[in-house]
Amino acid sequence: MAGPSLIPSGDFRTSYAADTTIFPTRTSRNAAIAGVILLCFAPQLFSAYWLSISIQIGIFAIAALGLNILVGFTGQISIGHAAFFLLGAFTSAYISNNAPIPVFFAIPLAGVVSALVGLIFGVPAARLKGLYLVIATLAAQYILLDFFSRAEWFSGGSVPASANPFSIFGYTLRGDRQYFYVVLAYLLISYILVTNLLRTRDGRALVAIRDHYLSAEIMGINLTKYRTLAFGLAAFFAGIAGALYAHYQLVVSNEGFGIERSILFLAMIIIGGTGSIMGTLMGTAFVVLLPESMEWISAGLKGSAIDRALSLNNNITFLREIAIGLIIIAFLMFEPDGLAHRWRQIKTYWKLYPFSH
Amino acid sequence: MTMKSLLSTVLLALLIGSASAAAQAQIAIGHLADYSGGTSDVGTPYGQAVADTFAWVNKNGGVGGKQLNVDTNDYGYQVPRAIALYKKWSAPDTRVAAIMGWGTADTEALTGFLAEDKIPDISASYAAALSDPEGTSGKAKPAPYNFFYGPTYSDAMRAMLTWAAEDWKAKGKPGKPKFVHMGANHPYPNAPKAAGEAIAADLGFEVLPPLVFALAPGDYSAQCLSLKSSGANYAYLGNTAASNISVLKACKAAGVDVQVLGNVWGMDENAAKTAGDAADGVIFPLRTGVAWNGNAPGMKTVMEISKMSDPTGKVYRPVHYVAAVCSALYLKEALDWAVKNGGATGENVAKGFYQKKDWVPAGMEGVCNPSTWTEKDHRGTLKVDLYRSKILGPTDGDLNDLMAKGTIKLEKVKTVELPRKPEWFGW
Repeated sequence: MAGPSLIPSGDFRTSYAADTTIFPTRTSRNAAIAGVILLCFAPQLFSAYWLSISIQIGIFAIAALGLNILVGFTGQISIGHAAFFLLGAFTSAYISNNAPIPVFFAIPLAGVVSALVGLIFGVPAARLKGLYLVIATLAAQYILLDFFSRAEWFSGGSVPASANPFSIFGYTLRGDRQYFYVVLAYLLISYILVTNLLRTRDGRALVAIRDHYLSAEIMGINLTKYRTLAFGLAAFFAGIAGALYAHYQLVVSNEGFGIERSILFLAMIIIGGTGSIMGTLMGTAFVVLLPESMEWISAGLKGSAIDRALSLNNNITFLREIAIGLIIIAFLMFEPDGLAHRWRQIKTYWKLYPFSH
Repeated sequence: MTMKSLLSTVLLALLIGSASAAAQAQIAIGHLADYSGGTSDVGTPYGQAVADTFAWVNKNGGVGGKQLNVDTNDYGYQVPRAIALYKKWSAPDTRVAAIMGWGTADTEALTGFLAEDKIPDISASYAAALSDPEGTSGKAKPAPYNFFYGPTYSDAMRAMLTWAAEDWKAKGKPGKPKFVHMGANHPYPNAPKAAGEAIAADLGFEVLPPLVFALAPGDYSAQCLSLKSSGANYAYLGNTAASNISVLKACKAAGVDVQVLGNVWGMDENAAKTAGDAADGVIFPLRTGVAWNGNAPGMKTVMEISKMSDPTGKVYRPVHYVAAVCSALYLKEALDWAVKNGGATGENVAKGFYQKKDWVPAGMEGVCNPSTWTEKDHRGTLKVDLYRSKILGPTDGDLNDLMAKGTIKLEKVKTVELPRKPEWFGW
C-alpha cells in the first residue's frame, strides 16, 4: 500500500512543514486552484441534468467526508450515517421555518445540532468495538428514523416537511444554477477543514487510534474523548450535508434514508478509498454516477433486441440495481484500496512516462 | 476491473445516453411509476395501463396531430427520486405539459411546485388534501394543479362506513360496533384516517386506536392478535394489496372475525387470487363501471389499449389497469382541448379539465364514471361503488379461468352517492 508512511527513496523532507503539506508540488496546487475556478463556470456550461448531478455529488461528498473521518481516519464504523444526514435536513428545515433565522445560518446550526446528537450516540462507541459498534450505530439509525416518522411537530411525521429556499440577508437564491455555488462553497470549506484537521494534534490522535488503539492509549491519547469526538464530527458533516440537501430539494421526507442509504455512504468511502480525502470525492462521484449510467444503459436497452429476447419490460430497472451491486463487489475484489489508489498509480505512470521502468 | 474496461463502460453509457435524447414537435408527458417500491404490486398494472394508453393514443394519430412523448420512470415510491424527476420535468428545456403521478407522499410534496410551475399532475393518489384547488376548505394547502380520477380516499372511507353502519343494523347485533384504522405510518394510509374516525364516531361506532403495519408484505400476526383482542368489528386496511394480503392471511390463521374494508388500492383480482379464501368478503370501492371482462360499451376501447402490450389479448387486467386507462384518457382529452385553445401548456391542460360536466372520455362509456372538475372543487366524483370479493374455491390456476368460472367474483354491494358537503372538503 502506497501510504504516506512509505516514502520512496530519494524523496527527502527536511522540515515538518514539508512533511504535512497539502500539495506536494506547486503544479498540483495550481491545478487544484484552476479546477475550482473552472467549477465556478459550471452553472453556465453544464446542462440542467449535469448541474443537478454535480450538486448531488457535492452534497453527498460532504456527508461521505464526515463518515471518512469516522471510518477511514479513526477506524470506527457507522451504519447509521443516513439518519444524521436526515437529522440535519429536518433540523435546518425546522429552524428556518419556525424561527426568524435565515437559511444561511440554519445550515451550520443544523450541523451543530446533528453533532450534539452524534456525540450522544457516540458515547457507546467509547466502549464498543467491531460488530457491537455496528449494532449500536444501527440502533441510532432506527431510533432517529422512528423519531422522524412520529414527531409531527418537528418533521411533519409521515408527511414530507417543506424547507425554505436558500436565502441570505433578504436575497433568495432560486434554481440549481445559483444553488451550485452554495454547495461548492460548503464543499470547499469542508474539505479544507478536514484536510487541515488531519495535520493537527487532534487529527493525528484519531489516526493513532485507528492504527493501534492500545498503543495510542499508552501514548496518552484519551480514547473515549477522541472516539466520541469522531462520531460528533461525522454527524456534523452529515448534518451540514443534510441541511444543504433540504434546501436544495425544498422538501424533506424520511424516505430513502434508511439503512440502504447508510450503506451507500459506506460504499462511497470504500470505493473512493478509506482514509483518503481526495478519494471521498471520487467515490461519491462514482456512486452518484453509477445509477445514472445504468439508467442510460437501461434506457438504451429499452425496446431493443436484448430487451425483447429477455422480456425485461418493467424489470429493466431491477437490472440497474443488480449492476450496482455487482460493480461494488467487483470494486472490493479488484480495487480494495479505492479510486484514490488508482489515481495515484495513474499519476505515477504519467510522471515517469515513457520511462516507467 | 481494469481502468480500460471501466472507461469503455462509461463511454458506452455516454453514447447511449446522448443517442436517446432526441425528440421534436411532440407533447412531453412525465410519468411516475412504481415498479419496484412499496406499492409496486398495484403500481405495475397501473403504470402499464398508462404506458399502453398513451401508446394507443400515439398509434391513433396522437393529440392534435402531435405525438405524445411519454417519459416513464420507475421512482421506487421514494419522494427524493420523484423530486429529482420533477426537476427535470419542470426545467425550461425539458418541460412537460402534464405529469401522470403516483403516490400520496410524492404528490403532496410536489403540490406547491406544481402550482408555481403550472404543471398539472394527474395522480394515482386520491388523498382528499389534493382535491382542494384554492385551499378554501382550510383543511389543506391549495392544490390548483392536482387532479385525479375517482372518489377521494376520505370519501371512499365515508361510503364504506356508511355501508358498515347499515350492515351492523341489518345484522341486528347488540351494542356499538367497533372500528379500527390499519395501515403503515405513511401519508397514503394516513390520508383518510381523520375523516374515517370522525364519521365513524358520528355514525355511532366506537373508534379503537389505530394499528400499524408496513407497506411491504410481512408477518403481521401480532397485528392480527391485537385486532382479535380489541374486538374490532370493522377494520379499514389502508395499504396496498400485497401488504393487505399478508394481514388477511395472518388474521385468517389467527381466527379473527372482522369485516375488512379495503382502500381502492387495497384489493384486486390478483390479490384475491393470492390471498385465496382469506380475501373472501372484503369490501372495497371500484372506480370504474365494470371490471375486466365486464359488459360495457367502453370495454372495447380498453381491450384495444391492452393489446398494446399484450397482442394475444389473453392477459387478465386487474381493476387498477382499467382505472388507469380512465385517468390517462381524461388527460388525453384535456390535452385535446389545450391544443385547440392555445397550445399544450400546463396551464391550458388544467383548464381543459374544467370544460365538461359529467365527463366520460370518448369511447369509454360505461367504464369511466362521469366526473366533473371545477376551478373550486377537484373532487371529480362523489359516487362510490362498493364491491365485495367472493372466493368460492381454491384459487390455483389462470386468473382468466378463475374469473370466468366465478371462483373469484367481484360482487356489487351498494352504490353510495355522497353529498357534496363543504365540511367534507379537503380532508
